[in-house]
Amino acid sequence: MTRSVFTSPYVLILPGFLLTAFIIVWPLVQLGILSTSDLNRFGVIRGPAGWENFAEVFADPDFIASAWRTLIWTAAIVVGSLAISIPVAIILSEDFYGRGLARVIIMLPWSVSLTMTAIVWRWALNGESGMLNSALTGLGLIDQNIQWLAQAGTAFPVQVAIGILVTIPFTTTIFLGGLSSIPDDLYEAARLEGAGRLQIFREITLPLIRPFINIAIVMNTIYVFNSFPIIWAMTQGGPANSTDILVTYLYKLGFRFGKLGEAAALSLIMFAMLLVFTIVYVRLAMRRESR
Amino acid sequence: MSAKWKRTLVAWALLAPLMLVILFPFAVMIITALKPQEEVLSPTWWPSRLAWENFVDMWAATEFGSALWNSIYVSVLAAVAALVVSVPAAYAMSRYTFAAKGVFRQFLLVSQMLSPIVLVIGLFRLVASLGLLNDVNALVLVYGAFNIAFTVWMLQSYFATIPRELEEAAWMEGAGRFRTLIVVFLPLALPAIAVTAIFAFINAWNEFVIALTLLRGQESHTLPIRIFSLVAGRYTVEWHHVMAATFVATVPVAIVFAWLQRFLVRGLSIGAVK
Repeated sequence: MTRSVFTSPYVLILPGFLLTAFIIVWPLVQLGILSTSDLNRFGVIRGPAGWENFAEVFADPDFIASAWRTLIWTAAIVVGSLAISIPVAIILSEDFYGRGLARVIIMLPWSVSLTMTAIVWRWALNGESGMLNSALTGLGLIDQNIQWLAQAGTAFPVQVAIGILVTIPFTTTIFLGGLSSIPDDLYEAARLEGAGRLQIFREITLPLIRPFINIAIVMNTIYVFNSFPIIWAMTQGGPANSTDILVTYLYKLGFRFGKLGEAAALSLIMFAMLLVFTIVYVRLAMRRESR
Repeated sequence: MSAKWKRTLVAWALLAPLMLVILFPFAVMIITALKPQEEVLSPTWWPSRLAWENFVDMWAATEFGSALWNSIYVSVLAAVAALVVSVPAAYAMSRYTFAAKGVFRQFLLVSQMLSPIVLVIGLFRLVASLGLLNDVNALVLVYGAFNIAFTVWMLQSYFATIPRELEEAAWMEGAGRFRTLIVVFLPLALPAIAVTAIFAFINAWNEFVIALTLLRGQESHTLPIRIFSLVAGRYTVEWHHVMAATFVATVPVAIVFAWLQRFLVRGLSIGAVK
């Protein structure tokens, strides 16, 4: 067997490492520099600013409001999609006629760009001409049109619901993989012992798919926390900033208000939040598993 | 009634409400795309006739062709770029044990956490300093790099299922490692590589925030940005054009995705627990 320099593992991973590092580490370093500098609105550095940018972000009431809304947004979508995806995955792993078609339909939202989904919903939710209002009127559920996206009270909950809808396919996929890893004889043995459906779910299915639940929670939290298109394409954070989450607030700060230093500081704060969440969660999940 | 028919009935009945909500926007999109212009603003379900001319009008009015070409160009090249660097990396991760393996895996995981949106300010400055603002090639570079973690993950879990014996047999015959990799391993890995490439393509096809930030001029728009620009900040929106454009931009990709989604179940979940 002849060894070649091209088959050393370090040579093989090098291009991938370099490209990722170039596109990710370089901007990260830039964020570090910008966040501690005093910038004019064209991004030209005027001098060092210490922690000024960070202090300004934390003092901004819009930041506090967006941060709370991000917490609600992320928690509601992650928990909501989990609660729906587990039963859906269990149903889809049963053997029934038309299962292939059912899987395709459930997976559909994943294949469409979030931007397009959001734009179609924006039209469907239109107050006067939207088909949701006309469908609900037709069913006799409402007697006057609801301005879904024009008022704070309905806009954000509707966006959370759409967020849940588009998160279900990925989450279900993870659980389908998890369920297929449980050997059938376990279920049969339990049934022979006279275990009921609920008992089987609690005693066998749930513990065995726990690692998959953990993966779904960590990955969905990262994705949902960073999810931009649904809110941006539907309301751009409006009306009156009432649907802003951190990512849309960040975008406005950087590209609308031209506060690049504060935006860079906010980016780092957001990255730190995700990092802390992931580390704490992985620790907790590992401790529970080792018990 | 047999047990399977009973299960079928229960399963479809339980899934029906969710399916209704999933299919509703698709119905809205298709119906609006086929409504004659004067009926678009009245929220009736059925158009009086099918206005196929909407698609032709939309194509000219939105300059759809140039955006379509940009999207194809960016997505194909981004997928190729990601695959060219991911295939060797995934091969190393599935066939070798080496000191930096764990570190590299952590590095990819953290790179997932640093999503484009968190880095968008830094990326903007990087691309500006390279002189690539408004240039679709900047998207190729950024999408390619951000896809690497996903493609390495998918490829690695498939590569692990390809038996080593064939490669070992080739070594016995005196073929070098590099030759074996090209002649024996790659042909076996081709289906996995193709599937992963298609998913990388779809990721790039659907991306929004980076394109929104880096592309300012009309001529460099990709499809999501072009369609967004038909809606955002306009007083009157030609919804039948928007929905026709959304339909053309969405349906071909959705069909391919529906056809390939079962590979995702395997790839993601095997990769997830290993």
